[in-house]
Amino acid sequence: MARNRVVGELSCFEVLARLSDYLDGELDEAARRQVEVHLQGCEECTRFGGEFGEVVAALRQRLGGEADVPEAVARRLEDALRGQ
Amino acid sequence: MLAPPDGQEERAQVARAAQGDARAFTALALAHRGAVYRFALRMTRDQAAAEDVLQETFLTALRSLPGWRAEGEFRGWLLAIARSQVLRRVRRRVGEPQGFEGLDSVEALGVEAGWGAPLEAEALRERVERRATLETALARLDDVEREVLLWRDVEGLSGEETARLAGLTLPAMKSRLHRARLKLVALVKKGGRDGEEPRGG
Repeated sequence: MARNRVVGELSCFEVLARLSDYLDGELDEAARRQVEVHLQGCEECTRFGGEFGEVVAALRQRLGGEADVPEAVARRLEDALRGQ
Repeated sequence: MLAPPDGQEERAQVARAAQGDARAFTALALAHRGAVYRFALRMTRDQAAAEDVLQETFLTALRSLPGWRAEGEFRGWLLAIARSQVLRRVRRRVGEPQGFEGLDSVEALGVEAGWGAPLEAEALRERVERRATLETALARLDDVEREVLLWRDVEGLSGEETARLAGLTLPAMKSRLHRARLKLVALVKKGGRDGEEPRGG
């Protein structure tokens, strides 16, 4: 079972629940600072937050920028559109 | 990947295409076909079905463009059409709430994802370097979770656009996205050892 310590004003679980909003820059200034104060004093949340961010970033980097559609598929799409 | 045109240029292309300019529509198709195909392939996990979705999406867009009110991004509109095409094929009820998305669930998902577990940063880094591991992990998510990850994290749509596409309020979409990310972390940590690749891929 994960530890659930209070560091600063937030518990580990409260940080876990806010991780996506923190990562996406969607917390207001006060909430963002609360998370950062907790992270500075909690090695476990810092580690998990890093892993979480790494996987999310990899989605964009590894899967978002890959090659266009296969050539044959592109050709059939062009033919279909020309037929309209 | 073919880069989409910037917002102003794209709006001009959309306006011309809506008036019947075939070259403008072709340019739009060229810029966005990759995103539509990727989404279709990851949702259907079938290359033939993904190609059908791709074609039907652009044919539908071509017919519907004169009536489109240009609310939101063009790519978002295309992905909404693609989603309805995917639904017709996979016959799933994507968009329907899947159970209670409460705080306990987030904690359980966090534990599953390694929250509070020993450090394994190196192993994780190796896994996220492998595209196949990410693809396998994505494929194992529920459809409703996979689609918000594809829109928000892979295609980079805004939170508002993603919520609109998913038919959710922004807070509900954020909750689903967070849970999906936690599940994905857990699946990536498992390394996709017993996963399967998309058919025909």
